[in-house]
Amino acid sequence: MSARDIFVEVGAVFSRWLKKTFRRPAFVFFAMVQPVVWFLLFTQSFAKIADIPGFASSTGTNSYLTFFSAAVIIQTVLASAMQSGIGMVTDIESGYMDKMRVAPIHRFSILLGKVMSDGVRILLQSIIIIVLGVILGVTFATGIGGVLVILAIAVTFGIAWSGISTFIALATRNSEATLMISILTTFPLLFLSTAVMPQGLLPDFVQSVATYNPITYVANALHVLVITGYDWTTLGYGLLVILAVGAISLSATTVMFRRAVAS
Amino acid sequence: MRAVDGISFHVERGEVFGFLGPNGAGKSTTIKVLTTLLQKTAGSVTVDGINLEKDPSAIRKIIGYGSQEVSVDDDLTGRENLRLQCMFHHLHKADAEKRINEILKATGLEEAADRRAGTYSGGMRKRLDLATAIITRPKLLFLDEPTTGLDPQNRVAMWEYIKDLNKAGTTIFLTTQYMEEADRLAHRLCIIDNGKIVAGGTPAALKAEIGADVVQLALPDNGAAADRARARQVLGPVAGVQEIKDYDGGLMVFAKNGPSLVPEIVRKLDDVDVHITQISVSAPSLDDVFVKHTGRKMRVEEVTPPRRMVFGGRRRRPM
Ligand SMILES: Nc1ncnc2c1ncn2[C@@H]1O[C@H](COP(=O)(O)OP(=O)(O)OP(=O)(O)O)[C@@H](O)[C@H]1O
Ligand SMILES: [Mg+2]
Repeated sequence: MSARDIFVEVGAVFSRWLKKTFRRPAFVFFAMVQPVVWFLLFTQSFAKIADIPGFASSTGTNSYLTFFSAAVIIQTVLASAMQSGIGMVTDIESGYMDKMRVAPIHRFSILLGKVMSDGVRILLQSIIIIVLGVILGVTFATGIGGVLVILAIAVTFGIAWSGISTFIALATRNSEATLMISILTTFPLLFLSTAVMPQGLLPDFVQSVATYNPITYVANALHVLVITGYDWTTLGYGLLVILAVGAISLSATTVMFRRAVAS
Repeated sequence: MRAVDGISFHVERGEVFGFLGPNGAGKSTTIKVLTTLLQKTAGSVTVDGINLEKDPSAIRKIIGYGSQEVSVDDDLTGRENLRLQCMFHHLHKADAEKRINEILKATGLEEAADRRAGTYSGGMRKRLDLATAIITRPKLLFLDEPTTGLDPQNRVAMWEYIKDLNKAGTTIFLTTQYMEEADRLAHRLCIIDNGKIVAGGTPAALKAEIGADVVQLALPDNGAAADRARARQVLGPVAGVQEIKDYDGGLMVFAKNGPSLVPEIVRKLDDVDVHITQISVSAPSLDDVFVKHTGRKMRVEEVTPPRRMVFGGRRRRPM
């Protein structure tokens, strides 16, 4: 099988998923409306958090909006990544997976094309949030270059996290269970991290949970890029965590996927 | 449990091979093994000289598969569904576009081509599904119950289409639960029940095997044991009767010159006080072949109206 063949196959799967995504009204809702709701809801009701003594000194900003923009990105990335597995299950349920399995394509193209489309979806959603943030008055300390790094983090972290959802999907083969388990595991993690509140202001036990929470390290990386500047140690930790989560979730997914498509 | 148990058959190049069986017989399971979707636990399969175990991807290049449940992508248009299939089979773009237009015309989907498949009717989706299976011009086409769920008009159109495909050189393996479909389309067929092949051959040969007309007697309450016994006793000696078989609704009498025996049968049964709720005579059908081998009727909705009540001897269909 030539490289060109694989390119065509992956492209076919990829473009199928992109079309499906953009034709769903639900996507438009999740991509546009939800971040707006988050921005307005949280920054309005929690704006006073920035007045708490220690907020400005520990975060480097006295604007909760600026601080919170990282949380909106992470929340959106997580929510989007959690949907990734659903498509896989619906394909198995509808028999479309079998249609692809009887076609003379490399089995791995089916997974790769899907993951790539997930990445693009997450990228577009992140861009929307950043534009929204800028409109609402968020300033990015690292400028355009930093925004590009933020997008790279969002996409790689999103793909890494989508592996979890796809794994659950392939393990349960049930779309409702996938969504339930994904939501139940993901959202508590968001609030037990430094995404919404600086580490120093979290209650003690949450602080210790946050230390072991991968989302904390990604949130920290985003925070420094938005608020202070290139802090290579924080960015390095963030990258390491993304790579670790990605390595584990994607290899587990690959194993499950192989099992699902085995003849 | 074994969904399919120790079956063996071969399909000739260029023929339509039918796999006829009731619900749960193992038709889909067999087709999934043959199309590389399901792994068998034992045995060997060769498709076009290719060993299924050794080189499944070579088999995938030459086959097409229309699954029992329609599997088209509802978010994509008919044209996009077909285009995707062409990409999966690595067809060149110009060639693909040409084939897509041809097949849209042939399946009557031209007008709906650029609408999402989700807006199609059931019959249209089924036709689109078939189109995706054949657009790659497979040497060997597997169709799992291609007409289940279609209205009679669309069913006949589908039959014509399958015949045309076969005439153009495609070997077709099709499963069905309709006797008439197997009878009309298949050059040769197997009857499968409970995972086992119970009979096989050309439809004509299978029916000829019966070698008699079939007088079907439906008994009240599906035939009490006592009624069945008395009926057998009086009908057995009747001249011309070759065999009496039980089926789940009563008895089937295989007899030469069945129509002329009807008055006598009715009289004899009346003598011993066995009531009949229905009596019909017909030339042997695949249905009778099935009953003969399994002792059960297939119990699926019939394509044609049910057998006429006859007391005079009109055959349902000429042999
Ligand atoms: N995934 C499965 N798990 C367990 N049993 C199964 C599974 N799929 C099929 N079976 C069983 O295998 C047997 C054969 O099923 P199969 O689907 O091959 O029948 P079929 O002839 O295609 O029937 P139908 O006309 O209803 O489509 C049935 O008894 C069914 O219950
Ligand atoms: Mg079936």
